[in-house]
Amino acid sequence: MSRNATDWLKTPGFPNSHFVDSRIYTDEALFKEEQEKIFNKSWIIACHESELTGAYDYRTFSHPGGAPLIIVRGEDMKVRSFYNICPHRGNTLLYDPVGNAKRITCIFHAWMFDTKGNCIEISRGEQGYQDRYKCENAGLREVRTEIGYGGFVWVNVDDNAPSLKEYIGDSMNMLEENLSMPLEVFHYHKAVVNTNYKLWHDTNSEFYHDYMHYFNKATGMMQPGYFDRKYTGYANGHASVGSMEIKYDAYSKGSKPRAVGWPGLSPGGWVLIDIFPGMTFNLRTSVLRMDTAIPLGPNKLIIEFRGLGLKSDTPEQRAERIHDHNVIWGPFGRNLHEDLLGVHGQGRAMRDGSDSKWVIHGREENSTIHDEVGMRHFYAEWSKKMQRPAYDPLGDNKLQATKEIA
Amino acid sequence: MDERTEISELIYKSFLALDDLQFAEYLALCAPDYHYLISAYSPEIRKEMIWLEESGDSLKLLFDNLPKHNSDHSRLTRLGNVYLVSKAAANEWKALTFLQVFRTTLDGGATELFAVCKVHDKITKLDEKFKLLDREIKMETRMFGFGHHIPF
Repeated sequence: MSRNATDWLKTPGFPNSHFVDSRIYTDEALFKEEQEKIFNKSWIIACHESELTGAYDYRTFSHPGGAPLIIVRGEDMKVRSFYNICPHRGNTLLYDPVGNAKRITCIFHAWMFDTKGNCIEISRGEQGYQDRYKCENAGLREVRTEIGYGGFVWVNVDDNAPSLKEYIGDSMNMLEENLSMPLEVFHYHKAVVNTNYKLWHDTNSEFYHDYMHYFNKATGMMQPGYFDRKYTGYANGHASVGSMEIKYDAYSKGSKPRAVGWPGLSPGGWVLIDIFPGMTFNLRTSVLRMDTAIPLGPNKLIIEFRGLGLKSDTPEQRAERIHDHNVIWGPFGRNLHEDLLGVHGQGRAMRDGSDSKWVIHGREENSTIHDEVGMRHFYAEWSKKMQRPAYDPLGDNKLQATKEIA
Repeated sequence: MDERTEISELIYKSFLALDDLQFAEYLALCAPDYHYLISAYSPEIRKEMIWLEESGDSLKLLFDNLPKHNSDHSRLTRLGNVYLVSKAAANEWKALTFLQVFRTTLDGGATELFAVCKVHDKITKLDEKFKLLDREIKMETRMFGFGHHIPF
C-alpha cells in the first residue's frame, strides 16, 4: 500500500539506532560541523609511502577538513606534512599534485621553506621587516603524520588527537599479516560524485547491495560461505567484514579463478575493513583497494581510488593484479560503475528539498553479511562525535527514546 | 579508395558501431587476434596505468554481459579525427586518431564532453579487407564522475 504525506514522514518502526534522518546527508551546517568535529579530529590517509620514494618527493592532498596539505619526504627520509599555504599572503606553495622540491618556494614573493617546514628565506626580509619579523616567525604549519597499516601516510590536523595506533585500535588486526610486507600503488584515479561521503562509506559498510552487482551475486552471494561472513565493530567507528572464498569462474563462461593470491590470504579470500570516517581497506584475493572519501560539501564528494600490489611483484604477477583490479574496480570495471551509480542515485533522491526523510538501517541477521550493523556502528560513532543523534540531528523530530541497539 | 581513406573509414566505423551499441558489428571490424587496451598516465603516482585490457573474445564477453549489469544508459557519441596513417610493417599499418567522447543524458538530452583521448591503432589486411589488429586508447581525461560500462 502506498503512503500519504503524513505516513511518509512517520518514524520508521525500528529502534532509533536503526534509522537516520536524511538531513545528515544534505544539511550545509551539519557538514561544516562534521569537518570540525570529525574530519579535523580523525586520522586520514593522505597518500601511500610508495608515492614518495626519494628525498624531497612530495604529494599534495586536499584534507577533508578543509586544509590543503603538502606531504613531503625530507632529506632525512622522514615524511612530514604541512599546510600548503604560504604564511605571507596565503598563496598555494606547491601547485602540482606531485614533484620533488629540495626547497619549497612560493611563486608569489619567493619566500622559501625547507622540507622540515622551516622558513629559510624571506625575500628582502631585512629591508622590509627590519627586526620585526624574521624567518623564525614564518615556519609552515606542520600537521601530525604517521606511516602505518600497509605503508599508508596518515595525517591528523589535531595536535592533541590520540596516536594513530590508539585511533585504529584492534580494527586492522584482520589484515595485520597481509599488510606486513612493502606494498606499491599501481592504480590511482578520482571520481567526483554528487552525493554525501557517508553514503559512499555506507556502500563499503554493507553487502546487502550485492543485489546491485551481478558479478558479486554470481561469484559470492550464490556461493557457499557468503552468508557466514561476519561484521565486527571496533572502537572509534571502525568495522571489519570476514572473508569467504570468491568463485571468480562463476561469473560467466570463460571466467577463470585468480592466478595470483596475496600472502596470508586464503585463495579467493576477501577481507574488508572500514576506517571511520571515510576510508576502506578492501583486500580481494590479489589486490588491495583503498578508498579515501574527501567531501567537498554535503552533496559533493571526491573519492580517491588506489590499487596496490606487492612491491616484490614480478612483472607477470603485477600484470595479473592489474587485470584483476580492472575487471571489477577499474574505471571501466563491472562493480565500480555500479557502486558509483548507486550513490549518485542516493544523492539525487536525497538532495535538499526532495522530501526524503528517513534512511533505514534495520536489518538484523546475527551480524552476518546482510546485517546492517556496520552502518549502525558507524552512525553510533557519528552521533557521539557530533553530539547529535543521527536519527534526530536537529532536535526537531520529536522522537521517543528507544533502546539503542548497536 | 586509397589506403588512408579505407583505414580512416574502418576507424570511424568502429566508433559508429560502439555509438549504436552494435557490438557484433564492432567485433566484425577486428582481426581474430585483436588486442584492446585503455591506458592512462597518472601524474599523481607517476606511473603509466592500464585501465582495461581485453582480447576480442573477452571484449565479446564484456559486451554479452552488459545486460546483466546495472549501467548508466546515457548515450555516448564518439567524435574521431584521424591524424596520421602510415605503413608500419608488411601487411601492417598504424593510425593515430584524436577522440572526443560526449555523453548525452536520456532525460532532457543535455550533452557534455565526457573524455578526450588518443587512439593508437594497428591495422592489418585479411582477405583484402582492413581489420583492427591492436587498439590502445591513451586517456587524457581521468575523471568520469560515476563512469560508464562501455569502453571507448
